[in-house]
Amino acid sequence: EYEEKTGRAQRPLSPKQNVRKNLDFEPLSTTALILEDRPANLPAKPAEEAQKHRQQYEEMVVQAKKRELKEAQKRKKQLEERCKLEDSIGNAVLTWNNEILPNWETMCCSRKVRELWWQGIPPSVRGKVWSLAIGNELNITHELYDICLARAKEKWRSLSTGGPEVECEDAGFSAADREASLELIKLDISRTFPSLCIFQQGGPYHDTLHSILGAYTCYRPDVGYVQGMSFIAAVLILNLDTADAFIAFSNLLNKPCQMAFFRVDHGLMLTYFAAFEVFFEENLPKLFAHFKKNNLTPDIYLIDWIFTLYSKSLPLDLACRVWDVFCRDGEEFLFRTALGILKLFEDILTKMDFIHIAQFLTKLPEDLPSEEFFASIAAIQMQSRNKKWAQILAALQKDNREMEKGSPSLKR
Amino acid sequence: QSSDFLFKFLVIGNAGTGKSCLLHQFIEKKFKDDSNHTIGVEFGSKIINVGGKYVKLQIWDTAGQERFRSVTRSYYRGAAGALLVYDITSRETYNALTNWLTDARMLASQNIVIILCGNKKDLDADREVTFLEASRFAQENELMFLETSALTGENVEEAFVQCARKILNKIESGELDPERMGSGIQYGDAALRQLRSPRRAQAQSAQECGC
Repeated sequence: EYEEKTGRAQRPLSPKQNVRKNLDFEPLSTTALILEDRPANLPAKPAEEAQKHRQQYEEMVVQAKKRELKEAQKRKKQLEERCKLEDSIGNAVLTWNNEILPNWETMCCSRKVRELWWQGIPPSVRGKVWSLAIGNELNITHELYDICLARAKEKWRSLSTGGPEVECEDAGFSAADREASLELIKLDISRTFPSLCIFQQGGPYHDTLHSILGAYTCYRPDVGYVQGMSFIAAVLILNLDTADAFIAFSNLLNKPCQMAFFRVDHGLMLTYFAAFEVFFEENLPKLFAHFKKNNLTPDIYLIDWIFTLYSKSLPLDLACRVWDVFCRDGEEFLFRTALGILKLFEDILTKMDFIHIAQFLTKLPEDLPSEEFFASIAAIQMQSRNKKWAQILAALQKDNREMEKGSPSLKR
Repeated sequence: QSSDFLFKFLVIGNAGTGKSCLLHQFIEKKFKDDSNHTIGVEFGSKIINVGGKYVKLQIWDTAGQERFRSVTRSYYRGAAGALLVYDITSRETYNALTNWLTDARMLASQNIVIILCGNKKDLDADREVTFLEASRFAQENELMFLETSALTGENVEEAFVQCARKILNKIESGELDPERMGSGIQYGDAALRQLRSPRRAQAQSAQECGC
């Protein structure tokens, strides 16, 4: 600062003006860099010193200008990238709407479409693509949804008027459990994406989420409401109309992996974990050994990821991109994603002990870099000794069945 | 910071009783008012000072829904302590305590020290379970008991600390052997440093007996 307060002696060539004249634009941060003279009541600096100070000052300004330019270029580049991204999304929307969606059956499996799919489906067509990819094997109609919803509403009414507690005790444990699950829906809705503030009491999608989950418990009383479902329904609601969200929800949960988990078929879940571990060891042998050594079993982190399809643990935009490819590739992509996460953080995870790994994986960092994340997933090979996911899983399931047959006492 | 012991703790109880909020309040000293429901299990850890000993708690915060029992049961193994949580404004969550207790005694270590926590103490106007009733239940089942509030923080730290203190007392009286497999207790890094060589052989043989 002291050095800047110099140079009054050379009034004829005021360095301030000199320098400023050469600038084609005013660097923002250099407005604080003003070369001032010594106060008038002090003797002027010797010419040599003033010269030196002027030189230093000019160097500072040049540096600042460089910095400003760099910043400006960076901003420009970011803007260009955003424009490019928006352009490519715009183009992708056109391609999806005009080429792919009208010819879904023939095009959905083509290489070009698969590649475009991997880039992420534009939000405006996402719901449609998900619906088509999930399909409607169960042939659920909008009318069926209305019927299920009406039944659910009836149940809520009889529940709120108090009444049939005795009846429930007669009906035994499962009825009580089912009733408890209706209560639990209410509780969990307010605890689903609380930070978005749209599913909570009074929020715009509170009733929609309530309706879909309630209708599902009437549609599939054998499954009922299981925690984790509210996240899946919520993500669908964000991308589809209510009845279509219900159709996608029911069909999605009907897939083998989801059925195994939402029925909490522990044996089958363990089989999925075992299959996962085959690919874990194949892809990340060092980390796999580290996890084994620390007793870090896959159930500790996979349960949350699989039950909510990553919507609770990943930032929502990334979760939606995982859903995109999950809709394309099926259940194996869920496990591939898990391995992608482990690969992305392999270095730090290898240095952690049990509790830190467990804490880290059950609460992933909020600022996951999306491109690195998907590159990491892409690097995961879902082939183990020439066997694919489905083959490994089927072989493990077969082993299990044979073991159960062989020793019925082991059966739980 | 180094510790003398490491205890595995569970937080169990019905859905919506405030298990995760208790854990959050204990660790962050804050109430989490926008929390998700736990799917599977979440974790916390904290080192506390109990009577001059540093104890690292490794806390497993489990999902509460009945349906998840078969999954969460597998997390019980080798727990040294547990917070068994119910909601004082919900009799249903209180009625479920016996089930939770059976699971914990059967699946964790036999000597597991359990503290019963009647949470949401701040909602006294909506109370459905009296202090006296719960206190009797605790005595009958040899549990410690506190009413807690994850909202205000009342008795939250106390719950964890009292549970840890009782485990330490049991270790000192010889009732609990940290070297027995599945006790849920390990020596911390500080203790391990002091403990090298002479007792090592002993530990080895104790472990073998444990099998």
